[in-house]
Amino acid sequence: MDSAPTELGLPSVGPRPEVAAEPARYVLDRGIGYSLWVFDLGLACCAVELVAAATAHEDFRPLGVGPFEPDGGRADVMVVAGTVTDKLAPAIRRLYDRLPEPTHVISFGSCANSGGPYWDSYCVTKGVDQIVPVDVYVPGCPPRPEALVQGILKLQEKIEGSVRS
Amino acid sequence: MSDHDRQPRGEYPETLPELPPRTRGVIALIEENCTSCMLCARECPAWCIYIDSHKEPVPQAGPTGSPVSRGSPAPSGRSGRERTRVVLDRFAIDYSICMYCSICVEVCPFDALHWSSEFEYAELDIRELTHEKDRLREWMWTVPAPPA
Amino acid sequence: MTGDDWPARVEATYAELLDDVRLEGVDDDVGPVAIDVPADRWVDALTAARDGLGCTFFDWLSAVDELDDGFRLVCHVAARRPGALEHLVVRTLLPREGATVASAAKVFAGARWHERETHEMFGIDFTDDGGEVLALDRLLLPAEFEGHPLRKEFVLAARVAKPWPGAKEPGESDDAPAAKTSRRRGRPPGVPTRDEWGPHE
Repeated sequence: MDSAPTELGLPSVGPRPEVAAEPARYVLDRGIGYSLWVFDLGLACCAVELVAAATAHEDFRPLGVGPFEPDGGRADVMVVAGTVTDKLAPAIRRLYDRLPEPTHVISFGSCANSGGPYWDSYCVTKGVDQIVPVDVYVPGCPPRPEALVQGILKLQEKIEGSVRS
Repeated sequence: MSDHDRQPRGEYPETLPELPPRTRGVIALIEENCTSCMLCARECPAWCIYIDSHKEPVPQAGPTGSPVSRGSPAPSGRSGRERTRVVLDRFAIDYSICMYCSICVEVCPFDALHWSSEFEYAELDIRELTHEKDRLREWMWTVPAPPA
Repeated sequence: MTGDDWPARVEATYAELLDDVRLEGVDDDVGPVAIDVPADRWVDALTAARDGLGCTFFDWLSAVDELDDGFRLVCHVAARRPGALEHLVVRTLLPREGATVASAAKVFAGARWHERETHEMFGIDFTDDGGEVLALDRLLLPAEFEGHPLRKEFVLAARVAKPWPGAKEPGESDDAPAAKTSRRRGRPPGVPTRDEWGPHE
């Protein structure tokens, strides 16, 4: 692992929507934002709340959230739930790079936001946003399962807004 | 009481879950109660409470109105030393590090901090997760009444 | 609650091995029974626990930094009896400088992972039968990590870098620090100041 800082940049939807006409972008907004396939990267205790959110509803489709994709090869949004350690950080970066564009990241819980209660530890990455660009931060230790749903709704609002501009 | 009884029939986000009274959602601040004693900032294990304050002189009362100070008051009625009070400038809680352990709420001697069960405050920018005292006061309106 | 004869059986088994057997944790029913052995009899003690006492369940091996006394290597093992486990703690004391002890992997194969962790966290060396120090791979720490984190003198850099919010006195703020304090400045426990530790320009 080289020690030069990685230029992360802001996540983008891809080149095509930016040059598309307004009606096409409107459709692409809705298409992306309301069919989010979720890759739940559960690392620690927040993973339990993540699973509770994933299994709480019989059908997530009215919300525009697709299946909670276990494979991670086809997901739109990666939810990082739990403590990120320095040893695991390169693996998380590889998982993020493996996901097809556009990829969004939700940081779930204090540990993923900023290191949380383990901010002073010798081996904890202080926030997953040091490795991957994060779109939505959900606070809590652990956050309620409903807070994850609210975070996803907030992400949908952001997707709606970002592509349009 | 099982979880099935506790949750209403509708699901989030159409209906909010019914939460128990002491649910730890977010911490609210009553600025008037805070004396900047710094106990919460010192006891916080995550070092996530930031307090700034300054000292101000208290306006002296008239010759007959001032309360008795520790030394006997001068015949004119004024106490000898100018009294100061501490004024809170900044009270911020960084919810990106907070671990919701409740130590600050328990240790506050003046009941300035209270728990609210609100949990819908996800943000797009992590700097927005540091709530300043005006926002902490807004949370106060969501704090449930203490059980009788 | 250990079986009534468990401390007696432990004492009897180790009486053959050691000159002086002193058990701890026998009178209080709170913790497990613990025995201290000399460092050069470490493997023999664990073998006696496994074969003589039937402690076939290896639970945990790690160390405790006892400051001036050195490192105390601690191994938790357990013997099954119907419906319960008899818990035994075998301990030994190692000097801080040149802490070396024989590896227990021959007695309990699972001890190898615990020894890897103990080696990278404390710097304790484990030797094979011939006395050669084993080159143990890293288990939990990343490759470029320097130092042994669980030693007491290891400083948590984040605590030195971030200013403690509780260091301010009432009536003090970042813009207007207190000019002179008659009483000693509060500091979080165990955190050195930036002058004492850290990079200097």
